[in-house]
Amino acid sequence: MKIKSLIVLTLCMAMLCLAGCSMKAPEKVSTDDSPLKVIASFYPMADFADKIGGDNIAVQCLVSLGMEAHDWEPTTADIALLEEADLFIINGAGMEPWATDLLQTLSNKNLVVVNTSEGLDLLENDESHDGHDHGDQDPHVWLNPLYAKQQMSMIMEALKELDATNSKTYQDNYEKWANKCEELDQNYRETLSPLNHKDILVSHQAFGYLCNAYGLNQIAIEGLSPEGEPNPARMAEIIDFMNKHQTKVIFYEENTSSKVAEAIARDTGAKTMVLNPLESLSQEQLDAGEDYFSIMTANLKGLQEALSD
Amino acid sequence: MTLMSLFQYDFMRRAFIVAIALGIVVPCIGVIVVLKRLSMIGDALAHTSLAGVAGGLLVNINPVLGAGITCIGAAFTIEWIRKKLPQYAEMSTAIVLSAGVGLAGVLSGFIQNATSFNAFLFGSIVAISNAELIAVVAIALLVLILFFLMYQELFYIALDERSATLSGVPINTVNFIFTLLTAVTVAIAARTVGALIVSSMMVLPVACSLQIAKSYRQTVWFSVLFGLSFTLIGLTISFYAALRPGGAIVLTGVCCLLLVFNLKKMVCR
Ligand SMILES: [Zn+2]
Repeated sequence: MKIKSLIVLTLCMAMLCLAGCSMKAPEKVSTDDSPLKVIASFYPMADFADKIGGDNIAVQCLVSLGMEAHDWEPTTADIALLEEADLFIINGAGMEPWATDLLQTLSNKNLVVVNTSEGLDLLENDESHDGHDHGDQDPHVWLNPLYAKQQMSMIMEALKELDATNSKTYQDNYEKWANKCEELDQNYRETLSPLNHKDILVSHQAFGYLCNAYGLNQIAIEGLSPEGEPNPARMAEIIDFMNKHQTKVIFYEENTSSKVAEAIARDTGAKTMVLNPLESLSQEQLDAGEDYFSIMTANLKGLQEALSD
Repeated sequence: MTLMSLFQYDFMRRAFIVAIALGIVVPCIGVIVVLKRLSMIGDALAHTSLAGVAGGLLVNINPVLGAGITCIGAAFTIEWIRKKLPQYAEMSTAIVLSAGVGLAGVLSGFIQNATSFNAFLFGSIVAISNAELIAVVAIALLVLILFFLMYQELFYIALDERSATLSGVPINTVNFIFTLLTAVTVAIAARTVGALIVSSMMVLPVACSLQIAKSYRQTVWFSVLFGLSFTLIGLTISFYAALRPGGAIVLTGVCCLLLVFNLKKMVCR
C-alpha cells in the first residue's frame, strides 16, 4: 500500500514537472509577442525608456527607489536580470562606473547596450572640492531638457532596431515627449532669464548642465557625488559667499540629510529648499504620479523663488 | 582669515561647545577604561552604535536614539562576557566589536540614504542642531557629576575589583553605572566627532597623561587637560587647514603622544 501511494505520488510529481516544462517552453520560443526586456541603470533612464517604449517594453530599473545613485553597486540579482535582458540603457559619462566591468563578465551575447550621453557635449569635471571624484566628466546631463531629448532619441533608435514591427509607435512616442522637452526648455528660458540673481547654492554639484543652459552659476557644498560633511573651512567659505551675494536659498536633496544645509541656514538666515537632481525617486513620489517633467517643473518653481528679488 | 573669524560663525561656536564638552568627558571615561585594561571598548561600542544608527534609519526611529540603545546593550554584553571570562577581559571587546561591525555592515546595505549613514562614520561637528547641542551638554554634565561623585569607587574597581569588594565598594552598582555612562558618552561622541574616532579620543589623552602623571588624581587631571587641548587644537587646525575635524583631532593627539614620549626620554637621560 505504502509503495503504491509512493509511486502514485512520484508519477504525479513527474507529470507536474512535465506540465511545467511544456508550459514554459512555448513562452521562450515566441519572444516576438512578449514585451522587450529593458533594464535601465537609474531613474531618468527608466522614465525615458518607459515613455518611448510604452506597452511594448517591460522596463526595470537597477538603482531601486530612493537609493543613492552614485554609491550604488550591482548585486548578483541585478547581474541575473541583465543576463535575461534584451536592452540595457545607461546614462554614461561616469554615472555608472560599475557598468564597464560588469558588462565584460556577462554571458548574455544578445544584450544591446545604449549609452545615452554619447554624442552630447560633456562638461569636464573641473571643480572637485573633496579630491574624491568619480570621473573626468560631469554625468548629470539629463537635467538639461534638450539633452534629455537627445537621450530619448538614442533610446528610440535602439528600440526601433530591436523591434522593427513597432517602430512607428516608438517614433510617435518620441515625438510627443521631444515636444514636451522643448516646451520645458522654453519654460526655463522664459522664467529664468529675466531674474537678477544668477547664483544658486546646492548640496551636490549636479546642476552644471542646467546652469550652463540658462546662464546660472552653481556653488556646491559637495562635489559631483554626495560625500558627506564638508570641512569647517569650506563651510565658512560658503557662508561668506552667501552673505556677500545675498543668496536667500540653500537647495538640498530630498533623500539626503539636510543637516549641513540647516547649519549654513542658521549662520546666514537663508531658507532651505528642495532641488531634486532626479537621480532617484521615492515610492511616494511615483505613487503620486511624479515623473521627469513634473519634477523639473517643481525645480523651476524653486529656482524662480530663490533667484527673484 | 584672522583668529577672530574662528568665532564669527555660529556653526564654529557650536562646534567649540561640543569640542569642550567631549574634550572633558571622554578622557574621564577613558582613564577608567584604560586602567581596567579595556582600551578597545570605545572602538567596540562606537562600531556597535553604527549598527544602531543603521537600524534606526531602517525602522525610522531617531538614529541617535538607536545608537544609544545599541551602545548600552553592547556595553552590558561586554561587562557580561568579561565576568564570564575574567582572565580574557580584552576578548570581550573584540567579540562585541566584531558583532557590531558585522551587524552594521549588513544593516547599512539596506539603507537608502547613504549620505546620512556616512555622516555617522565621520561625524558632523560642523553641523550641530539645537537638539544635539542640548543633548551633548546635558549628557556631558551628567557624566561629569556622576564621575566625580564616584571618583574613589571608580579608582578601586579600575585597579582591582577583588580588593575593592573587600574594602566595601559596591562593585556591581559602580560597574553598572559606569557601563551606562560609557555607553551614553560613546553614543553622543560618535554622532558628533564620528564613530571611527571615539576610541582614539578615549585612549590618546590617557596615554599621554600616564607618561607624566604620578597619581590617580594627576592621571585624571592631565587626561582632561590633554583631551581638551586635542579637541580645541584639532578643531582650530581643521578650520584653517581645511581638514575633516575628527581626523585633525586624532592626529593632534598622536603627534602630542609622540612628543611626550620623546620629551620623557630626554628628561630621563
Ligand atoms: Zn549626482
